[in-house]
This record gives sequence, C-alpha cells and structure tokens, in this order.
Amino acid sequence: MPPRVRRRVQELKEYCELAEVGEIARRYFAMNAFDGVLTMIGVLMGNYLAQVRQPAIVISTGLSTCIAMGVSGLWGAYLTESAERKRDLDELQDRVLVDLSQTKIGRASRTAVVIVALIDALAPFISALAVLLPFFFVAFLTDIAVSYYLSLGIALAALFGLGAFLGKVCRGNVGVFGLKMITAGIVSMLLSYLLRTA
Amino acid sequence: MGRVRRLVLDVLKPYEPTIVVWAQLLSELEGVEAVNISIYEIDRRVENAKITIQGSGISFELVEDLIQENGGAVHSIDEVVAGKIIIDDAATPQDPYQG
Repeated sequence: MPPRVRRRVQELKEYCELAEVGEIARRYFAMNAFDGVLTMIGVLMGNYLAQVRQPAIVISTGLSTCIAMGVSGLWGAYLTESAERKRDLDELQDRVLVDLSQTKIGRASRTAVVIVALIDALAPFISALAVLLPFFFVAFLTDIAVSYYLSLGIALAALFGLGAFLGKVCRGNVGVFGLKMITAGIVSMLLSYLLRTA
Repeated sequence: MGRVRRLVLDVLKPYEPTIVVWAQLLSELEGVEAVNISIYEIDRRVENAKITIQGSGISFELVEDLIQENGGAVHSIDEVVAGKIIIDDAATPQDPYQG
C-alpha cells in the first residue's frame, strides 16, 4: 500500500475510533439491512399475490424501492447524525472553551457523519437488491414463480445472517438470534398472504 | 536561546483521545525524550491533566499545536527548565512547610 494511502487509512481509523463510529455503524447497518430485506419481502409478496408474472415489473418496482430506501437512509442519517454530532461538539466546546471545528475531534465528527450516512444508505439498498437478484435471471429459470421462491429464500437467509451477526456482536447464541430474525420475515410473509384471503 | 529541557503544563482536555494516546503523540515530537501525564480532576466530558515533558530541546509551539489539534487547551505553564542541565527550584525559607 502506498504511504499516502496508508496514512489516510490510518487517519480514517483514528477518526472512527475517536468519533465512536463502530457501535453506531453496526446498529445502523443491522437495523437498515433488516428494513431493506423486510421491505423487499413486502414488495415481492405484493407482486406475487397480485399475480404479477412479468419480471420487468417486479424489477422496476423492486429497484425503485431499493433506491428510495437508499436515498432515505442517506438523507435521514446525514441530517440526523450531523444535528446530533453538532450538538455534541458544541457541548464539548462549551466545556473546553476552544473552537474544536478545525481539530482532530471536529474532523472526526464530520467524517463520522459521512460514514454513518453511507452505511445507512448502502445497508438497505444492498440487502434489498440481493433479495431481488433472482428476477435478473428469470431467463435461466423455468418459471417466474421460481424467482419468487428463490428471492424469498434469499430474504430468509439474509435475515438469518443478520441475526447471526447480531448474535456474534453480543456474544450470544448465533442460531437463536438468526431464528428470531427469520421469524420476522415469516410473520411478514404470512400477514401479506392473509391479505389475499381477506 | 537556551534549549527547553522540561515543561510542566496544566491542560484541560476532552476524555477522548485518552491520555495514553496523548502521551504517545507528545513523545513522538522532536526533542522530546519522555512524557508523563496525570489526571488530577475529572469533570463532565473533560478532565484536567498535568503534563510533564522532558527532553533535549522541546518546542513549546509544537507541543501547544498538538494539544490544540487534539481538542485541549493549555490553562497554564506551571514549570519550565531550560539550559544545559535540568535543575529543580531552589528551596527558600518562604516555601510552605512540607514536613
């Protein structure tokens, strides 16, 4: 790695540590990836129950949803986080009676806002996109129904993965956390299914 | 001008970066050979630190810049030793009794 890049990476690591990005980023990642998967389950179940059989429609509605979630995450987290961080920095400035905006602490605070906003945007976007993937390969599958089943399968697997991630974070039972997450997906599917019978 | 060999500062700093990081950063400055930092008061989100720096030629400007860069503020310069050797302050009858 070139020395300049290594220095930048080191600086970034230092800022993340200083602004305590790790914990909040983990929380945002898990929460928003979960939202992304569940929202996509809703979109897919809606399409499936409305008997949509054209992959182009599923893809366009799915992609629009992914983009909307990404933009929502980016904007929401950026504004919320910058407001919170500004308040935090102001409070600290009042304590030390020094302008901290051009110090390491100020730069770490601004970097944290960008990192958290990006995670908040990318987590739902990527997780939802992963669920939608089988619809891009409908041509290779026998029937679009297979895409629906595959997508819902991916969604449940992603939920289990997220649960396992959280289980690992709290050093708990990875399997139990995974199953708790999957339950949310199954409940969501069942409630959507009930709409058809209602 | 003579070389500054010891500097004792009273500094107000945020909890983060910790004094471990501060000591490491200060010890990397040119002309610094050893650093001692002790916390003598803790307040909400900030702490007061007594920083003792010893070396062969300490630059106060560099030290102050580093302190400011890390969010601290120098409250006072409590002791400076400059010259060829390090000497402590001489005892006088007016000093408070420390028996």
